[in-house]
Amino acid sequence: MDEKRMPDGIVLTEAQKRSRRHRSIAIALALGVLVVLFFAVTLVKGPAVLVRPM
Amino acid sequence: MFPTKARFVLSVVDHNAIELSPRISEAEVGDYIALLKPRVMSLVVFTALVGLIIAPGHFHPVLAFTSILCIAVGAGASGALNMAYEGDIDALMSRTANRPIPRGRITPPEATAFGITLAFFSVMTLGILVNWVAGGLLAFTIFFYVVIYTMLLKRWTAQNIVIGGAAGALPPVVAWAAATGSLSMEPILLFLIIFFWTPPHFWALALFRSDDYARAGVPMLPVVAGPDATRLQILLYTVVLVAVAFAPWPLGYFDAVYGVTSLVLGAGMLALAINVYRRREGVAATRATRKLFAFSILYLFALFATLLLEVVVRAVAPAIGAVASAIG
Repeated sequence: MDEKRMPDGIVLTEAQKRSRRHRSIAIALALGVLVVLFFAVTLVKGPAVLVRPM
Repeated sequence: MFPTKARFVLSVVDHNAIELSPRISEAEVGDYIALLKPRVMSLVVFTALVGLIIAPGHFHPVLAFTSILCIAVGAGASGALNMAYEGDIDALMSRTANRPIPRGRITPPEATAFGITLAFFSVMTLGILVNWVAGGLLAFTIFFYVVIYTMLLKRWTAQNIVIGGAAGALPPVVAWAAATGSLSMEPILLFLIIFFWTPPHFWALALFRSDDYARAGVPMLPVVAGPDATRLQILLYTVVLVAVAFAPWPLGYFDAVYGVTSLVLGAGMLALAINVYRRREGVAATRATRKLFAFSILYLFALFATLLLEVVVRAVAPAIGAVASAIG
């Protein structure tokens, strides 16, 4: 088997892998903030969380 | 199934020879943060904070934080969608050529997807967690900035920043609505101050960047009507701005400290606008416009900071008085 054969599909460079990882972490953090925000507001408003002026 | 010609073309395509080379993004988190226009966002956050704090009644700190966060993210979404649409213009202007899209770090579709996602989440979160008056106003602000200003006005009329300035003036109104669930005169006064502040501020910038705007084909007032007409418009709008900014005191909406501060700052703004009107040639003219541009930022910041301080002092004064009487 030819060992120099390029693997199928797209191969990311190290820079691309690094930037993708950083972006993924940022998205995870943003989603985490959103979850905490909804949780905190639920605690603040209590059962009336869905009762709000239109 | 296929016409003859199409069948022939399909038959000669060697699928093994097609090299798929999709663009793989190397954009860093910092590039996406740059899309949010952090400096504009900081002014939006500050003016919104003032709208929130001067609003009457108690507003829970968690809800206040949520409101400011949503307004900030909404402003960032507007910035991202603006840059997604204006990549061609930004590439031609020295002030904006370093933005992520002209540099090729982020593509316009990526910026569009990013902006729409942020706009959706900011509006829905504000609406669900705080109230729908604020959520609706935030949605309108984003729509106005992206569609009315960026897509329709900016490349079409020299009045682009006059009308478009409404988008930048709305954050304190959104914040007030978040805190109270309604609107009243005070946030409208804040809106008017920012609205009439926008033309002198941006036309001062456009005067010393007019080559940039002309190269990009943006019909800013100095490019279309010339620098002298722009200088006159700056002066007229500054007169209106100073009057509008002073009016809340005699009308009884804001205190004397604000009124006096507004007068002092207004005198400075007016003096610089007159200087811009008078000095029309050479280095002195450029220096005058740069001074007005820089002072206009300080003017708005100081005016709103005074309102903020008034509220803080009013809240803290009774406590200080109580402590003083206890010691005495």
